[in-house]
Amino acid sequence: MDPRKEFIKQLRRYEKGSISRRHFLGVTGLGTAMAVMAAEVPGLLPRKAWAAGSIGDKVSLATWPNYHDPKDFEAFTAQTGAAVEVSVFGSNEEMLAKLQAGGTGWDVFVPTNYTVSTHASLGLIEPLDLKKIPNYDIAANDARLIKEGTVNGTVYGAAKDWGTTGFAVNTAKVKENPTSWKQFWDLTQGAYSGRVTVHDYQLTTIGNALKYYGYSFNSNDEKELADAEKLLMAAKPNLFAITSDYQPAFRNGDAWLGICWTGDGKQLHRDIPEITYVLGKEGGEVWTDFYAVPKSAPNREGGYALINFLLDPAINATEVKFHGQPSTDSRTNKLLPEELLKDPIMYPAAELLAPLEFGSAATFTNPARAELMARFKAA
Amino acid sequence: MAEDGIDVRFDTVSKHFGDVAAVDGISFALRRGSFHSFLGPSGCGKTTSLRLIAGFEQPSAGTVEIAGANMVGIPAYRRPVNMVFQHYALFPHMDVAGNVGYGLRQRKPRPEKSALDRRVAEALELVRLPHLAKRRIWELSGGQQQRVALARALINRPTVLLLDEPLAALDRKLRREMQIELQNLQREVGITFILVTHDQEEALSMSDTIGIMKDGKIVQMGTPEELYDAPVNRYVADFVGESNFWSGEVAASDAGGAAIRLGSGMTLRAAYSRLGAPLKVGETGVIAVRPEVIGLYPPGAAPRDLDCQANVQILNRIYLGDHSEFSVRAEGLGDLLVRLPKAVETAGLEPGAAAVIGWRGNQALALSET
Amino acid sequence: MQGPRKWDWTAILLMSPSVAIFLGLLVMPILVVLVLSFGERAEAGGYQAAFTFAQYANLPARWAAFRNTLTLAPLGTVLCLLAAYPLAYYLAVKVSSRNRLLLLILVIVPFWTSFLIRTYAWIFILGGKGLPALLDMIGVPDVRFINTPFAVLVGIVYGYLPLMVFPIFVSLERLDKRLLEASDDLGASPARTFWQITLPLSAPGAVTGCMLVFILLMGEYLIPALLGGGKVFFIGNALVDLFLQSRNWPFGSAVAVSLVVIMLVTVTLYLRVTLRNRGMRDQALV
Repeated sequence: MDPRKEFIKQLRRYEKGSISRRHFLGVTGLGTAMAVMAAEVPGLLPRKAWAAGSIGDKVSLATWPNYHDPKDFEAFTAQTGAAVEVSVFGSNEEMLAKLQAGGTGWDVFVPTNYTVSTHASLGLIEPLDLKKIPNYDIAANDARLIKEGTVNGTVYGAAKDWGTTGFAVNTAKVKENPTSWKQFWDLTQGAYSGRVTVHDYQLTTIGNALKYYGYSFNSNDEKELADAEKLLMAAKPNLFAITSDYQPAFRNGDAWLGICWTGDGKQLHRDIPEITYVLGKEGGEVWTDFYAVPKSAPNREGGYALINFLLDPAINATEVKFHGQPSTDSRTNKLLPEELLKDPIMYPAAELLAPLEFGSAATFTNPARAELMARFKAA
Repeated sequence: MAEDGIDVRFDTVSKHFGDVAAVDGISFALRRGSFHSFLGPSGCGKTTSLRLIAGFEQPSAGTVEIAGANMVGIPAYRRPVNMVFQHYALFPHMDVAGNVGYGLRQRKPRPEKSALDRRVAEALELVRLPHLAKRRIWELSGGQQQRVALARALINRPTVLLLDEPLAALDRKLRREMQIELQNLQREVGITFILVTHDQEEALSMSDTIGIMKDGKIVQMGTPEELYDAPVNRYVADFVGESNFWSGEVAASDAGGAAIRLGSGMTLRAAYSRLGAPLKVGETGVIAVRPEVIGLYPPGAAPRDLDCQANVQILNRIYLGDHSEFSVRAEGLGDLLVRLPKAVETAGLEPGAAAVIGWRGNQALALSET
Repeated sequence: MQGPRKWDWTAILLMSPSVAIFLGLLVMPILVVLVLSFGERAEAGGYQAAFTFAQYANLPARWAAFRNTLTLAPLGTVLCLLAAYPLAYYLAVKVSSRNRLLLLILVIVPFWTSFLIRTYAWIFILGGKGLPALLDMIGVPDVRFINTPFAVLVGIVYGYLPLMVFPIFVSLERLDKRLLEASDDLGASPARTFWQITLPLSAPGAVTGCMLVFILLMGEYLIPALLGGGKVFFIGNALVDLFLQSRNWPFGSAVAVSLVVIMLVTVTLYLRVTLRNRGMRDQALV
């Protein structure tokens, strides 16, 4: 085989498996480029001549990397005549920054639970017209997981999927079988110095440092944050990387221990079985991503049509099989194969889920945390 | 130095660039202290010959000697020769003194600063630029750059100074001045100068000897007088000075000269060049007559003792101060050029008028074509 | 007689696009950033109008980013120069003109692929299964490259090499070969000719290359993010974090203004050096 083609193929495969959800494209600015392209070059997009129908000929979606099965978009286009234009983003902060700056052109985007109230209070998203999303059956969804989509009794977000934040362990190298954040940070500064990654994301890195002391994941208490900072500063020289794109480091065998999201844990374990995904027994984070409609959406009808289409349980099931994050919708779960539902990474045991906390809006927007993270990274 | 007084000797030297022989088996020896020129059109091999002496090129065959030492394989920086480049090639990042002193600074051991400064001052004195030592190169006029290049090349007191079309970039008046200056300089320093030029006037006015080159070979080498008065063939006669030429078949030949029958049926007699080869009956030969040896007279006023006479019609006259040039048309000879000094009476020799031309037989030369 | 001064409409028409671009895309954004830098962070992030020097007073909080950038950017520039000069020299002087085009194309070819992908590839080359594994095989165990300042420097030299090669190549190629012959003729060995003629006369190209690379490096953030593992923090990374993560626009603007000031000083120095040598360069082009 042509070595160049082979290289590209391998690289694509690698990227597909390894680029993590939140950070990579944010860091690289690719998300921005895609958004600009998407907004400015509609002429380049596929369109069908007959499709000047009820929902227009394109719907613009801002979402995370590897988060949708492209076949589902094709099906949507076949059904409605509207092409789905996808821009991929690296962080909630970046999505918020873009919406605050204006002119995104998005019809739908996918904020995480703790940002929904901020978007709502800044007037950036609109209350959902649930009549236009008949496939979103609130009663069929796990109430605990979708409650953050509702602000003061008004539904702003339709739940897409959920997940947790734990840590990945290469059990071939790490023999201590860690089960707590206490162990995680102690091993970081001990036996596995130089082999540990943490997120380049204040919410999870600071949150899980707080768990070392048994504090709340969401603590904004000055003294508790100071303790977390002390731990992070002590851990810093022992870290392999501060990055949210940590899959390559695990796949290369450079990193053996690291803060990890469900989807990355699932993908790493699938390809390298000795890498496991652990939820700290002190707790940590559980999160839900929601579909929301910006007030500035140029094609609201198209946006609602797309949300409704993607939340059809049959479609949603194919989506789950693609991205590996658990669904909040019991009707979707019924359509999933047994081994997925039994997967301890996607659907952890109830006693492990019990102590988990949803990140709060205050945690997300706290400037003191942002500065703490900056000091940690620059140290 | 060589005992025989020869500074530069080529022995069957060739230089090939791919399939092209830029220099084709030439041999010569240049006397120490002489001013020698290589003259020829571009591509004749004169510049390559100079570069073979300088050491920028190594011969494909043959040997190059400088002052009796074989130079084959010796790089330029180890040869006792220096060059003045066509566009001077002065170092733009150094001032005048920096350029002039460059050669000295390459010496091992490097001279003391005081000695260096003194030598630079002397060299600038020699080219009459003592006040410009600190100037930047681009602040100098063309003539001044020329002198700096000379001073830079002379400071190492080379055995041979090479000059590659050094005056080509100067205007006419400055060129005349520099020609005289170069000659004076050469007498003053007493070393061998080798000049490459395509300008025959430049070569004739400055040189002790001239080598006329064509297609990588030396056609004739000699003093300017020899080349002018006794060219070996039409090429040299054409390149040095001006001539009227008629070619045709050699009808008769003896020890002193030949008769050549022209295409018009007319037969002309001429003496052999002192340095040329005799012609054989039946081969192609050329009659060459310099414009200044031809007389031009009103009808009936020609002297009796002319060997060759023809009736002509005057086509044009150009007044050139100290002399006049006439172009005339003669039956059987075609158009030709006649040059008359100012002293000669020219009344009645106006364009359109009929006239008579004539020359003495020993003033026309019978030459081979090549 | 000079008449009353008139508008030269052709000149105005010809200049207006570049003036518009200059004002709209360069001056305006810098003014906006300057204004923002005196403001305050709004509650939910972004900008709130104010007039305070607090952001500038807070600059020492990003000292590490300035320190890293101001040490690694010059170091990276010098390494680039050391790597690029021999290559440019080889291309301009040693290679036959037929092969030269081919080799120049080879220098450019990597630009056909995204800089991101190419830098990303270095994660695997420098990572545990790349070079360190090879070194391990020949008996040099436990070498670590990735996520170190060394990896960042490797990425810098790799990414910026062509930018350095081309100005040097151009200045070497324009170099009048007769000057080298003149030096040779005057008794300088090839090595001395290089030091006394070639090097000084190609210096303008080297300075231009250094300038290009240094200025771009000052704003670099991709290479430290990918090859430094988030631990080699540049000003560019601080800016990304401030604008896209903590959304502290005023402080980010103050950092950006400081960066612009540093670059202005550098460019001013550069222009002084090059303008002083301009006469020399014009001469060298004859």
